Amino acid sequence: MPTLYQMIRFIIRRLIITVFLLIVVSMITFAIFFLIPRLAGQNSYQLASQYVGRNPTPAAIHAIEQKLGFNEPLAVQYGRFAKGIVLGAHYNAGPDKTYCPPPCFGYSFRNQQPVWPMMLSDIPVTASLAFGAACLWLVGGTAIGVLSALRRGSVFDRAAMGIALAGVSLPIFFTGLIALELFSFRWPIFPDLQFVPLTENPYLWARNLVLPWTTLAFLYAALYARLTRAGMLETMGEDYIRTARAKGLPERNVIVKHGLRAALTPIVTIFGLDLGLLLGGAVLTEFTFSLHGLGLFTVLAIQNSDLPQILGVVMLTAFFVVIANLIVDILYAVVDPRVRY
Amino acid sequence: MNRRSIIPLAAAGAVAALGLAACGSAVKTATPSQVAYNAGNTSVVNPSAHKGGTITFNNSSVPDSTDPGNTYYAHMWNMARLYGRSLMTFKSCPGKCGLQLVPDLASARGQVSADGLTWTYHIKPNIRFEDGTKVTTTDIKYAVERTYAKDVLPNGPSYFALLLTDSKYPGPYKDKTPGKLGLKSVDTPNATTIVFHLQKPFADFDYVVSLPQTVPVPQAKDKGANYQLHPVSTGPYKFQNYTLDKQFTLVRNTEWDPATDRNRKQLADKIVVNLNVNADTIDNNLIHNFAHIDMAGTGVQAAARAQVLSSASLRKNADAAPSGFLWFTYINSKVKPLDNVHCRRAVEYAADKVAYQTAYGGPIAGGSIASTVLPPNIVGHQKFDLYGATTKPHGDVAKAEQELAACGQPNGFATNMAFRSDRPKEKAASTAMQQALSEAGIKVTLQGYTSGKYFTNFAGVPTFVHQHDLGLSIGGWAADWPDGYGFLYYLTAGDAIAPAGNTNIGELDDPKVNNLFAKAVATTDAGARNQIWPQIDRQVMSQAVIMPGVYAKSLLYRNPNVTNVFVHLYYGMYDYAALGRK
Amino acid sequence: MTAPLEISPVKATPAPEAVLTGAGQIEGRSLGQIAWRRLQRDKVAMAGGITVILLVLVAIIGPHITQSPNTYHQNLINPTFSRPVGAFGGISHAHPLGVEPVSGRDVLSRIVNGAQYSLLIAFLATFLAVSLGVIFGVIAGYFGGWLDAVIARSMDVFLAFPLLVFALALVGVIPPTAFGLSGNTLRIALLIFVIGFFNWPYMGRIIRGQTLSLREREFVDAARSLGARPAYILFRELLPNLVAPIIVYSTLLIPANILFEAALSYLGVGLYPPTPTWGGMLSDAVTNQYFQIDPEFMLVPGLAIFITVMAFNLFGDGLRDALDPRTR
Repeated sequence: MPTLYQMIRFIIRRLIITVFLLIVVSMITFAIFFLIPRLAGQNSYQLASQYVGRNPTPAAIHAIEQKLGFNEPLAVQYGRFAKGIVLGAHYNAGPDKTYCPPPCFGYSFRNQQPVWPMMLSDIPVTASLAFGAACLWLVGGTAIGVLSALRRGSVFDRAAMGIALAGVSLPIFFTGLIALELFSFRWPIFPDLQFVPLTENPYLWARNLVLPWTTLAFLYAALYARLTRAGMLETMGEDYIRTARAKGLPERNVIVKHGLRAALTPIVTIFGLDLGLLLGGAVLTEFTFSLHGLGLFTVLAIQNSDLPQILGVVMLTAFFVVIANLIVDILYAVVDPRVRY
Repeated sequence: MNRRSIIPLAAAGAVAALGLAACGSAVKTATPSQVAYNAGNTSVVNPSAHKGGTITFNNSSVPDSTDPGNTYYAHMWNMARLYGRSLMTFKSCPGKCGLQLVPDLASARGQVSADGLTWTYHIKPNIRFEDGTKVTTTDIKYAVERTYAKDVLPNGPSYFALLLTDSKYPGPYKDKTPGKLGLKSVDTPNATTIVFHLQKPFADFDYVVSLPQTVPVPQAKDKGANYQLHPVSTGPYKFQNYTLDKQFTLVRNTEWDPATDRNRKQLADKIVVNLNVNADTIDNNLIHNFAHIDMAGTGVQAAARAQVLSSASLRKNADAAPSGFLWFTYINSKVKPLDNVHCRRAVEYAADKVAYQTAYGGPIAGGSIASTVLPPNIVGHQKFDLYGATTKPHGDVAKAEQELAACGQPNGFATNMAFRSDRPKEKAASTAMQQALSEAGIKVTLQGYTSGKYFTNFAGVPTFVHQHDLGLSIGGWAADWPDGYGFLYYLTAGDAIAPAGNTNIGELDDPKVNNLFAKAVATTDAGARNQIWPQIDRQVMSQAVIMPGVYAKSLLYRNPNVTNVFVHLYYGMYDYAALGRK
Repeated sequence: MTAPLEISPVKATPAPEAVLTGAGQIEGRSLGQIAWRRLQRDKVAMAGGITVILLVLVAIIGPHITQSPNTYHQNLINPTFSRPVGAFGGISHAHPLGVEPVSGRDVLSRIVNGAQYSLLIAFLATFLAVSLGVIFGVIAGYFGGWLDAVIARSMDVFLAFPLLVFALALVGVIPPTAFGLSGNTLRIALLIFVIGFFNWPYMGRIIRGQTLSLREREFVDAARSLGARPAYILFRELLPNLVAPIIVYSTLLIPANILFEAALSYLGVGLYPPTPTWGGMLSDAVTNQYFQIDPEFMLVPGLAIFITVMAFNLFGDGLRDALDPRTR
């Protein structure tokens, strides 16, 4: 187990890399949305005309073009964006200037409201979906995987792996739609699926999330079951397991303390990555079930070409992924004694 | 719908007669035993004076803005009446009665000067905002000034900037005069009088002031782009809260005086609007009573349609409402070989109208097959059929081939067709066109564009159209106000062709059509003027720059728990200011 | 995303599974032969493999024997309800899988044509991802040092991107004509590029890991001490040992890419109409809720995706088991 000092050094190093990573991600995102249309032949006037609503008079387009700064060079626009995140920005809302405190991801091109509060209000939805489903799939998936590995070749094993394979092979929007159609409309077991915040009504919160949780968890549980099974099979064949058994340790000890622990390492890696990505918004699930989380926010932002919103949500997602990876790496040190930093 | 700013044309003399017989004073209502399919088109269903309850609206996306000065969608104009009153409004009754203009904040119609350049309105005294302050005409002038601030409020129409003198006014946020009331073309001699000075006479000006842009805005409470979060109400309801992109809630406005307003009701206690609800679930929500109204007002989707029409108990709650739209295809007159009118006529003959209609939802939910540009509920509509749309609705390949020979392309030709890729019906309709035209030898390649940029960057940019050989483009149109001028001008007048955001995508610049427009606005007699619109329609059709598809209908579902439901013909959907709860 | 599991590298020397043949001669078998025999014994994997081959055949030959996927059959549609006349979505002799609502197009021919596009895009995207992944993974693993650091960090960057979001954004931003291509050709190229380009880190990480451990092996050491140049080591020593994981993970990457393309089509950035894709057909079935009045219209492409993906997964699993000497 590394010392506290080593751990802190490690964390600081990783945090610096995180910042660097986020900068790179933001640059690439910016480039995609600004550079590519220009490469494909659009000028700033045409770019501005998308944000003028249904009444694109030349005066309106020019005004928007100026206001959103499209006619400035790319570097200047990016600089303004970066400054906003660190220092905050002032925005002309008409009669007075409003101040947008850091981190300021700018103002939506569509309704000219600050992006960060809109994203913040979506985080609880995505977090509820992600964490709930994560618990389900981690526990369910690994449990089934362990059992399958132990009863290898049995009916249980074959059936479980068969279903797992099916789960991995079905598109999630397909399963989601069928679930919605059957359990919400045809047999109204879960009618009127609207997100209710946990603080408002825990029972309704859970009840309305059951369908999305199970749809999402089904896919991942299948994956994790397969992984755990394969990992367990590998570790259970190792020599040290045989030694442990020969020593007379109880079987449960052998399985959990020795077998599962070693098999868990790849699971933990992937879990971190998956959870991090999911926190950025389970796009397809949120789209299918109309959950107003970061995923749906992203899809709508893209459909509206709302660059500040897109930039904001991509950076937030990247942040979650990287933090999740950091936590996973720390956990490694705890779980696997061979790891050195 | 797409609306474009109009260019004022000379029109002298009296206010345009609206050309519609006023409804009798008694409005038809439907008692519970008379609740039937399509009852909402002609009568008020579930009439009731019962107060209380909450009405829940579902919207599959978000409003472009809740600020009445900054929105350009029919359903928002309908909704904005709940918290805003403009100078004039459309009467709140079913059928053609609803196409009449009546005074709202104004005490009477506008008075025109002899030269037609000055319009004067007096407003009713003692109208108050939600906070108790009196509404004065300076608030209306300020609201009009806001429409000039296109960098802050870009979404709404621009009629005032085009019609009034002082078109260079920079908007109130850049206004240097003390008091910020520097718009010279609007005078407010006293608190209840407002005078507009026009550049040229324009007989339809009463229509212009019926737009939500004359909803008064108190300058002290204006927050520019943030005003949409809580517009100050003059209507029966006021904003309680607004979570962007999620939900807004309206509650009773105690300062609203029903004695001054016969076009709105204040029955329900609360109105909740849920935004960004998945479009596929809204219909089920209506049928299962999880929600009361679909705010977009464009009708149910295919599955619900089948369910509703095949069940007797659900069918009586449905109305096939004329939505005021025409779905059609533009045929460009500059892209070769469509610059030859015979090639364009070949397209008209070859098109399969039934397939087009099916794409939009069939006869009940899509609409009736169109043969003219003006839909039946617009003043000036006359039925005629130049290309066999009603006699040979599957298309006439033989005639098409004759026209192809006449334009020198006996083996057909190839061209591209633009459509909005995020609209499934347009996708289906353009595929139908592609299929039908291929039978006459015309090879069509489809190109989809997102609807947000369709007019601003692609089909509405003539140079883009020419560069990409877009001989055909899908379109849909509803007028900003229901007369022939409002419907036809932007689609077919030579002056309406614009370098971007163009809606005369056929690029028709026909002297005969242009002269007819000029003649029409110079004609003071309403009856005579209304004879000119069908002439324009005929000429446009003979030039074959528009292939009319369907006169649109929407199959609306009436939740039986809502009272006072009827279709308002101007908005093409249920009147949102009349509703109550059981 | 299917998470990759490291498999142990297979040695270049043959494992002794010798069999007595004839006159007492002991014959060794090559690795490939051993793997093939083991695969043959795995019935399920074989079934998967045969299904894959059948699907590819259908995709290649099918479009030539079925009718046109774009012909409308309006006479088979009930205009009021926009749904097919007849049970099960209009199944008949002429239309064995029924017709689509609204347009009346034959579902079977659309599925078969769609197979072409879905498989084409998935295969080429996988090829791109694998190529990039192998190249960068081997370079990173073998040369180490700053090269490894740079490549490993860029893999992290890519993995930090929300894949679906980015693909959506990229494809949505590019207009119908750009970079000299237009229409469907451009879209197909874009989809292949996006799917392949954002997937290479998965392959890259595995290959890098494998290369790292292989690098320390005796045979590589031996080659190096003999004075072999890096290029020789890469091509003659390392690559043959990487073939197994490459094949296995390619086979497992293809179904993931099929699903990815289906998701992109579902979200609206697929190919232009009237070109059929499986994801696009599912998307059509969902918007307008056709699936409620004509469920068969949604089930057919859904099942097509399911069967294809399942078959690849089964085959890939079996291949992995066959090539790994430790699983029994």
